[in-house]
Amino acid sequence: MSCHGVQGLLSAHRDGALGAAERRAVALHLGACADCAARWRDLSLALDALADVPRLECSGEIASRIFDRIDMENRKPGLATLFRPRGAARPFMLPSLVPAAMVVVSVIASAVFLDRPEPLPPVVQQRQIEAWTQPPSPVPDWGTERHPLFAYGDVSTPRARAGNVVPAYLLEPTGEGTIFLETVVARDGSVSAVHLIGGDFAEAAPLLEALRKERFEPGRFRGRPVAVSVYRLISRMEVRAPIT
Amino acid sequence: MASREVALGSAEPFAGTAAGERGLVELCRRGDAEAFARLVSLHESMVYNLSARLLGDGEEARDLSQDVFLQVYRQLGRFEGRSSLKTWIYRIVVNQARNRQRWWRRRRRERSCPIEDMTAADHAKAAATHPDADAPFERLARGERARLIQAAMLKISFDHRAILLLREVEGLDGDEIAATLKIPQGTVKSRLARARDSLREALLSGDGGAL
Repeated sequence: MSCHGVQGLLSAHRDGALGAAERRAVALHLGACADCAARWRDLSLALDALADVPRLECSGEIASRIFDRIDMENRKPGLATLFRPRGAARPFMLPSLVPAAMVVVSVIASAVFLDRPEPLPPVVQQRQIEAWTQPPSPVPDWGTERHPLFAYGDVSTPRARAGNVVPAYLLEPTGEGTIFLETVVARDGSVSAVHLIGGDFAEAAPLLEALRKERFEPGRFRGRPVAVSVYRLISRMEVRAPIT
Repeated sequence: MASREVALGSAEPFAGTAAGERGLVELCRRGDAEAFARLVSLHESMVYNLSARLLGDGEEARDLSQDVFLQVYRQLGRFEGRSSLKTWIYRIVVNQARNRQRWWRRRRRERSCPIEDMTAADHAKAAATHPDADAPFERLARGERARLIQAAMLKISFDHRAILLLREVEGLDGDEIAATLKIPQGTVKSRLARARDSLREALLSGDGGAL
């Protein structure tokens, strides 16, 4: 029997599982072959030492620890049982989710409340609404009837058209006092507004009415008609010689 | 469960006989805490020793022993009695130890050895409990041999370590090993031969020449 064949049988030889013929052949080979004999000796020593290893003993606490864990697993989950449906597979799930959901909802609500913009004053709101609802103006804001320009620089002065109907007597001084007027000449040459800046309104009322009917060649800014404010000062002061 | 008051040492009426084992299992299935305490006391030494030798760590072996008996407690209803209770528990120990070792390998790759060796104090303590450990030198030599054997065992593969422990330490025969590991008889013989050779080589490659 070869060394390789014998070495393959050493484990079975150790267990006594070989037949009589094989056992005799292995024994003969081990007596004659020093290498296989050393291998057999090492194997026997190793397995004898392994079998002779002292048993490790636990400290005797295993049973009590196991019962503690079984007790813990069988213990009812306290107040959570109030919320638990009968036969629920996860008794801690729902009672834990409810407060968690409440916390999440309260945090989101607080964030939304704190992030809310402050309400704007009514005037600003109205202007914003107008800006949003009205179409954008084709001409600049300045030079319109709401924001007339002054006749200065590149802005030409409106010139009165022929045939204006302001009676002359209205322009003559009939009493004491001064009337200061602003006439807004619109882009089509009409008078869009007449404002009494200074003077007696009752005295100036006929003049104001007449001025509203005036027609002009509109003032222009770089060739484009614009609304222009025209100011008039009508002085009715009577200068008398001092009494000596 | 009034478990802590039960007498853990009164397992003798159930030990050894198949009828006693069946009766013990039946009592455990009915929820008898005292019967389960007897079952634990019967097998805890075997479970702990096998766990410690498989893992090489005393604390891990204690945790593993708890897990094993918890699994026994939960799955005792599924125990069909086709193999012995001891074989069934051996199988649980080997499977749990294999799973635990895989877990260690996945999470502690930075360590050169995934499972720490047992300390020399563990071996000395175990050697001191041996019946032939009266002489101090003999006690020392036995503790040193145990340390060398354990170091060599941790060098070989888990499957080889398991089959060697079942055969050489626990004394299971081929049929019981086949039932425990769920492998054919022929595989038991071939794996046992390779495991023995691996242990011999591991001892020779280390300090095992001193055996």
